[in-house]
Amino acid sequence: MAKQLLIDAYRGKKTETAPWVPYAGVHAAYLIGEKADKYLQDPDLIAKGVLFAAERYKADGVPLIFDLNVEAISMGCQAKWVLDNPPAVVSHPLQDKSLKEANLKIPTAKDGRWPVIVEAGKKVMAKKGDWVLMGLLCGPLTLASHLRGVKIFTDVIKNRPLAKEIIDFAGKVGAESARIYRDIGCEIIAIVDPVASQIKPQTFREFVTPACQEAIKVIHDAGLTSSFFICGDATKVLEEVCQVGTHGFAIDEQLNLNYVRDLAVKYNKGFGGNLKLTLALSLGIVNPKEDAIVSLAAGGLTGYTFAPG
Amino acid sequence: MVDDEKRNDILKRLSDGVVYYDEEKVIVASNEAVEDGLDPFDAIMNGLAAGMEIVGQLYEKQEYFVPEILMCADALYGGLNILRPHLKAKEMKEAVKGQVVIGVVQGDVHDIGKNLVKMMFDVAGFTVHDLGADVPLEKFAEEQVRTDSNIIALSAMMTTTMMGMKKVIHMIKERNPDVAIMVGGAPLTKEVADIFGADGYAENAGNAVQEAIKMISRLREMHAKQQLGATP
Repeated sequence: MAKQLLIDAYRGKKTETAPWVPYAGVHAAYLIGEKADKYLQDPDLIAKGVLFAAERYKADGVPLIFDLNVEAISMGCQAKWVLDNPPAVVSHPLQDKSLKEANLKIPTAKDGRWPVIVEAGKKVMAKKGDWVLMGLLCGPLTLASHLRGVKIFTDVIKNRPLAKEIIDFAGKVGAESARIYRDIGCEIIAIVDPVASQIKPQTFREFVTPACQEAIKVIHDAGLTSSFFICGDATKVLEEVCQVGTHGFAIDEQLNLNYVRDLAVKYNKGFGGNLKLTLALSLGIVNPKEDAIVSLAAGGLTGYTFAPG
Repeated sequence: MVDDEKRNDILKRLSDGVVYYDEEKVIVASNEAVEDGLDPFDAIMNGLAAGMEIVGQLYEKQEYFVPEILMCADALYGGLNILRPHLKAKEMKEAVKGQVVIGVVQGDVHDIGKNLVKMMFDVAGFTVHDLGADVPLEKFAEEQVRTDSNIIALSAMMTTTMMGMKKVIHMIKERNPDVAIMVGGAPLTKEVADIFGADGYAENAGNAVQEAIKMISRLREMHAKQQLGATP
């Protein structure tokens, strides 16, 4: 467990060994025998789960929570809570209304789900050892899709000013989330935008990159470390991810880690991934130990963080 | 009746309109097809669907992404809504290849992929029973029995919800082994589909219908062989 090791890797530096981050998420609830819905609404349980996960996995970093619905639910989106996953957003306030009509407000640390998360974060910070507490905020396109629904994906082509307005607003919400994580004491803050892999590089450049800048500034102005997490086959937008302005990025199991490593080294970025969660852990098709060895060999020791994909 | 030149012109405009997500162009060409007496089934299959096939190829090559696909789908539906009411009853009957129950499994609200696959089944002439998203697992089996559908199409975007597919497949196969079940979605692979006991795997919306037709044929062949084997 080594905080500085992880920060160095996230910043693209050489490290003596590869640091390790299990993105425990609601798995931390499972570890302490709790259901996800109860866990995510109870600061004591979150703190207990995060501390337990860090210890159990001898981690160099653990997210405070991995739930991309915090911002949307805190703005009034309806949620469906489930026992074994983060809640799902089921209503989209901007589906048929403008931002002005919907009167959406940027949630602060006192609004919605944030007080529970802030309290949990403080409890973790008071007890944690030499590892990084990570803050993960919902990226602008993903948050825009919560707010607007699927229409946001056609808006980026046929209704660009509206798309820009909503995605920029989502970026401002993300910047406030970054401030909240900063104030909790998170040393690494990541913008998590899984659906950003589903758009063209040009669309990414036009909408996602600008909307991330305020959050990145908040993180960097505080001397903290930034990252951008993306999911799915992000091959085509990975150059854009490298240029978004964060210190590093993380990808999932669908990408070729050799390709990712070469690109990260080219742009001097930290990168994390890509243990095959589905194939190795959920289904047992791939031997997890062999998969880990392959990932470590491909990742190398420059900017690489060993982590699930 | 329209001559070949006119027919080809309309079909090309329908196809191009879908590929370049020009809904207005598709609407104009569809109205022209109706006014000029072009067989609406021909217009749908060789105009709109042909265009969507090209869109599928562009998606595979990563030249098109989700926004472009959704725009193409809008254009396609623009034409389909005009042409479909003009299909004759006989053509409708011939066009119907089967019945599909489709939905996103419990716990998952991501339905973009499911809606695209639904559209492809629509275009190909299947009767589609759409259960929507976050569908309780037992609902798939109930709907299959209610509608006597021969295909079940399951979608999931998350690894965790994907695991529910195995239960649905088991539930349905236990009651009716002749139902063809296909799975698709971001975390799925052919290998995972096989492990779950699915009959087909839809890598993308474009190949979902072809896969459905293939698996129905396979199941029919198996069924025929079993009956042959049972004959004294």
